[in-house]
Parts: sequence; structure tokens; C-alpha cells
Amino acid sequence: MRCWRFKLRKKFMAYLEGSLRPDEAKRLEKHLADCELCRAMFMRLRAGHKLAQQLPHLSTEADQRIPEFEAMMADMGEMATARHGWIRTWENWLYALATPRVVQGLIALVLALLALVVVSNRRVLFGERKSIAAQSSALDFSGFHPLSIPDLPTNTRPHIATEGYVRDVRVDKEEGTLHFRLAEMPQGAGPFVVCEILIPISMALPREGSRVRVYGVARYDAQPGREWHEVNPVLNIAVLKQ
Amino acid sequence: MPCGDSEAFQEIYEAFRERIWALVVYSIGDSLQAQDVLQTIFLKVFRGLRSFRRQSSFFTWIYRIALNECRNHQRQRRAPHVPLEAILGSRDEIDPKAIPNGHEVREVVLQDAVKQLAFKMRDVVVLKYLEGLSYEEMSRVLGCSPGTVASRLNRALGELEERLRPFRRFL
Repeated sequence: MRCWRFKLRKKFMAYLEGSLRPDEAKRLEKHLADCELCRAMFMRLRAGHKLAQQLPHLSTEADQRIPEFEAMMADMGEMATARHGWIRTWENWLYALATPRVVQGLIALVLALLALVVVSNRRVLFGERKSIAAQSSALDFSGFHPLSIPDLPTNTRPHIATEGYVRDVRVDKEEGTLHFRLAEMPQGAGPFVVCEILIPISMALPREGSRVRVYGVARYDAQPGREWHEVNPVLNIAVLKQ
Repeated sequence: MPCGDSEAFQEIYEAFRERIWALVVYSIGDSLQAQDVLQTIFLKVFRGLRSFRRQSSFFTWIYRIALNECRNHQRQRRAPHVPLEAILGSRDEIDPKAIPNGHEVREVVLQDAVKQLAFKMRDVVVLKYLEGLSYEEMSRVLGCSPGTVASRLNRALGELEERLRPFRRFL
């Protein structure tokens, strides 16, 4: 089982430290209730956090191993003498090199090398974006259960394909996801299902007013103020009419 | 602060030695070697004072010297790894009742688990949980973004949990 909610997982530590906003914390808790993978990761992190909080601070007052200043200076003197020539030469060399021009030259050289690497490997680097779309196109959509939007309340199958008109396309900037309503009618009130695309870059985005067939996972959002059926995540969109 | 000013350097030493000592002990472990490393760190601080350009805070600068020196020492020495089992016995579930001086051994177990982490992960654990630094402060000390710090911390805590899982009854 895979979970694409990378941005949500980045908030685990903030949640453990109590620094998330209440609405963010609720969203995270809801996802943890649904997602076994994230739940396991969160519990590991929480256990590690509790262990790290127990790390003993070294008792410096009783710690006789830390040398006093005079003893350290005496030892440092011996150390410096023993390594004197080597350290001086090395330091002088470094100090002479650390001029602004030399540093700028090194930075320019590094940037040039980096550009060369990127250009040489652009297919490998930018070809990865196609693989996400390739993954979804590799899915067998013939196994998805076709049903109409009004039939969603009685649906028990997880993977469905449903058709409708695209309305209210919105981007959730915080999550990086895209939402739209798929309505049975092009205008006016009527049955609808909320569709969520987790990785908008991975598929062609639907235009408002177009008629599409959406393939994805059927869910129900029971939160107060929502209480609607969802296709979340959307795995593929086929445009039927622009 | 002029290089070679003994009094001023003594102030720096007194102000930072305990915090740097904690970092060194968690990295090196052995107290004799830790003393050597501590002295090397402050030797570099002493010599580096004239080239300190105030582009970062003094604390950040000293910490970077300390972290680099600890890593250099570990790479050169490759200190033998003493597994936790050598302290507590079998890797099966440990019975806390069977262990005398449980509190002290518990501390050793926790410290040892942190010491066995890769240095990038160990650094973030020590800086966060012992020094209490924020993500921003850690990113300045480590020279990376707060996001990278968070990512390393997540991996470190996951690995810590995995290493200490057999000892959870004991801890």
C-alpha cells in the first residue's frame, strides 16, 4: 500500500511537539485513522521521540573528565609545539587562499560543473515526471466498477469509475492537491461527488464545464459541514466532452 | 577578540566547554579520546579567532568546528563498535528486574544507541534533545536547510526506535 501524503508526514514532528494549528492537527489525525502506513510511521517516530527525550544530560559538575583551563592550555601548548610547523604551514596556505576572488572562482567552477551534470542527465532527471503519469496509465481501469453519481450512496466497491460535469476546480495550496466537484448536471443543484487529485502534475487537469469520466477510490467524508461522497485519490481522468 | 588573548580565550573556554564536551562524548564515547578531541577543538578555536568573520554567531562557529573535528576523529580512528547486547546480554526482550543498577545501565543504553547512529543523524539528535536548539539554529550549525534537519531527525528517531525496540521493557 502506498501513500502520497508526503507533506502531511512532514508535520508529524510538529504534531508531537504540539505546534500544529487545531485544524491541521485534526486533518492529520483523520488521515492517521485512515492510513495504516502513515500510522505505523507516526508511531515509530513517536517512540523514537520519547526515547530521545530521555537522553541523559552529562553531569558536568561531577564530571572530572573535563580538563580545567590551565591543564588544557598546558596540553595545548605541547600539542601546538608538536604540530607547530604543520599547522602554521597549513593555516598560512588556507588563509592565503580564502580571498574573495578565489572563493568566487571556486563557486563559479562548482556551478559550471553542476550545470554540466544537469544537462548531461536531463533525461534521467526530467524523465521521472513522466513516470508518475506512466504509473497511473499502467493501472488496469477495466476492473473499476462503473456507476452513476446518484448511486454512490449505495456503493460498496472501493474502485469506481463515474461520469459527470466538472465544476468548482480549486487548488489546496497548503496540501498541494487539486479538488473539483463532479456533478450529474452541468448547472444547478443536484447530486455530485468531490474529487481530489493528490499529485496534480501527474495527469491532465479537467476544465470547468467539461464532461469527464473519473477513475479512483470511493470514500465518504463524514466531517460536519462536509458529509459528501468523494473519489479520493483520483487515479485517472478521461475527457468525454470538452 | 585578538588571537592569543589568554583571558578572553579562557572566558570562551569556560562558556562553551561543557556544551562541547557533551557533543564530543556522544560522538566519541571514550573519555580519554574525548579529552584529546576537546583540546583539538579548542586549539582550532584559539587559532581560528583571527579568521572568524562574524558571518555566523560565535556559538554556531564553535559548534561547526566541534562537529567537524568529531567526524574527522571517527573517520580516522574507526573506534570499535560495542553492541548493546554486550552490555545487557541477549537481543531478546530484556528483563529489567534482572539488571542491577538499572538506572545507570539505562543511561548507558540510551547513550550508546545514539552514539551508534550515523554522525549526520546523531548530530541532530544531540543538538535538539541535549542542546535544545530550534530547527533554524540547527540548520545554521549544520549548514543545511531546516527541511533537511527535519528529515534527518525523522530518520534518526526511526532508527533509534528500531535499535532500542528489544529493550523497550527496560527503558
